[in-house]
Amino acid sequence: MKRISVTVSLNRSTLQFDDAAYARLEQYLAESASLLEGDPDPTEILSDLEQAVADQCSRRLASGQSVVTLAELVPALEEIGSVQATEASAASEPSPRGAARPLQQVSEGAVVSGVCLGFARYFGLNVTALRIFAVLLLFVTGGGMILVYLALMLLMPYAPLEPGGRPLGWLPAKSRALVEYLRAKLSLATS
Amino acid sequence: MTVESKLAPIRKGLLEFLVLRIVGVRSVYVPDILRRLAGTEFATQEGTLYPLLSKLRREDLVMYEWKESDAGPPRKYYRLTEAGRAQLASLDEYWSRINRTVADLGH
Repeated sequence: MKRISVTVSLNRSTLQFDDAAYARLEQYLAESASLLEGDPDPTEILSDLEQAVADQCSRRLASGQSVVTLAELVPALEEIGSVQATEASAASEPSPRGAARPLQQVSEGAVVSGVCLGFARYFGLNVTALRIFAVLLLFVTGGGMILVYLALMLLMPYAPLEPGGRPLGWLPAKSRALVEYLRAKLSLATS
Repeated sequence: MTVESKLAPIRKGLLEFLVLRIVGVRSVYVPDILRRLAGTEFATQEGTLYPLLSKLRREDLVMYEWKESDAGPPRKYYRLTEAGRAQLASLDEYWSRINRTVADLGH
């Protein structure tokens, strides 16, 4: 008795592989998994790759042939190529609200100084909704919100400007300049 | 440094922009994208494209939906989200600015 083939479920397809092809496939998928280490969502990419392998192999099967051998698998893997991790995943992207991303004001795309944008980015909220909420607070607190905003403006650090990023609006640029001026004054006064 | 080793990172950086452009035309599945890029300087492979598309999806620039195919299992069709369209517009604009700069300098 001899085992002829292994039935492999690849994402949404099922194919028969002979032993040699199965071993090669296992090796490819293990390599891909280790190349994707640090990617936030390797499962999705791996199942996409499995599907690609299945599609490529079934296309290469001669009519009447049911078992994938190295003759189909090797050129299939060649065409798919080895996994190229994206820069973001290679540098292990910080999670949107993890400790790696501090609460900072964001000048690019800010309306006033970037406090709302900073909070939205930190907590993963919709910035428009947050701004509307802030304006509502402005009315509810009878203008007291302005003081809160000014305090946050002074206290929250600024995120570094994106190199080659979009130019700042007039107000965000002025606010940032003013805050930086005030901070310099204050640190002079306290030292 | 050879010319090729200087060009490789430029191509790598532009691939994301080109994928956004292709996905921006109409909803496509990965073999469509590969075909579109094949024969250009940017010819690429599934092993490169899937991680890139996964990243773009996490950044909420593209989304996909499953569509039945005549042969084989359902396929993932990618298209741009609103945010993707906005980012593509600014990349397009930036790209033409760069082109103008490159053309203007060196005269």
